[in-house]
Amino acid sequence: MDTTGRRGDRVYRLIGLVGVVVFLVTAFSPLAHRVNQWLADSPQLVPSDAIVVLGGAVSPSGMLSLESLRRTNRGIELYRRGLAPVLVLLGGATEGGPTEADVRAEQARLHGIPADAILTETRAHTTREEAVRVKALLRSRGARTVLLVTNAGHFARARPLFERAGFEVRAVPSDPQLEADAPESRLALMRVLVKELLGWVYYRVAGYI
Amino acid sequence: MDAIFIAALAGLTSIGAYYVGARALGLSRAGLGAAVGKMLESVGMVLIFVVVNMTTSVLIVLAVRGWTGTFVSAYANDDAVWLGLSLIQGLAFQAWRGSAAER
Repeated sequence: MDTTGRRGDRVYRLIGLVGVVVFLVTAFSPLAHRVNQWLADSPQLVPSDAIVVLGGAVSPSGMLSLESLRRTNRGIELYRRGLAPVLVLLGGATEGGPTEADVRAEQARLHGIPADAILTETRAHTTREEAVRVKALLRSRGARTVLLVTNAGHFARARPLFERAGFEVRAVPSDPQLEADAPESRLALMRVLVKELLGWVYYRVAGYI
Repeated sequence: MDAIFIAALAGLTSIGAYYVGARALGLSRAGLGAAVGKMLESVGMVLIFVVVNMTTSVLIVLAVRGWTGTFVSAYANDDAVWLGLSLIQGLAFQAWRGSAAER
């Protein structure tokens, strides 16, 4: 008995064709980079009340992920340019290791940023929680304008959350000039963009943004 | 540059495989189209498993967050191992369907 069914085969074939085409176009064209550039806000490098560097990831041994390091470096650069008096570093711990924020703060101090200019927040798990906790952290300082540092694709979610928290957001992408030119980098970038798209859809459906 | 090299190399080995199949192994040239169709079906099945795995995982994470009130990270979904596991599941399922059709 034929249990496969010709119609079913055609559907699988079509899905497979779409998958192969998307894979080849992503790997062998600059599509991912173009989409990332389109999503990226131009850096708004204007004096503000605080620099807020959103969390990325840290290993249990305390090693920052590449994206986390990129964001941290961007935040340090903004501070050293004198664009804000405070550097807010976010990020919790993984499996009992040091918190991402503390590792970042150590990096910032090594780059000559005074300890009293660094604020850390380690309890937020999501971008939404980060916005709420940064609001509480900066309330006493009366901060209204923030230079928000994260990757380009993340701004679609992060910007409205921080605006809802009462901040005027100046976007500073951590990856504006990155051009993924190797197939693996392009696929990795597309994976990040798809993840951000799904996150944005979830936040919209949940009414967070 | 990497992309051009990789694409050119894959093209070259594909042409080589075609000649080996057609000349050395005596495979039917007309059968290549049907084989590509079968390959696409398998890829389609793998992609279905990717979507099913990801969706189930996200739903479990959201359910645990909602019911227990404790934070569970959704980043377990962001692991390349899902692709490998879905590949194994999809190919096995597709082979199972194929064997059922032959009976």
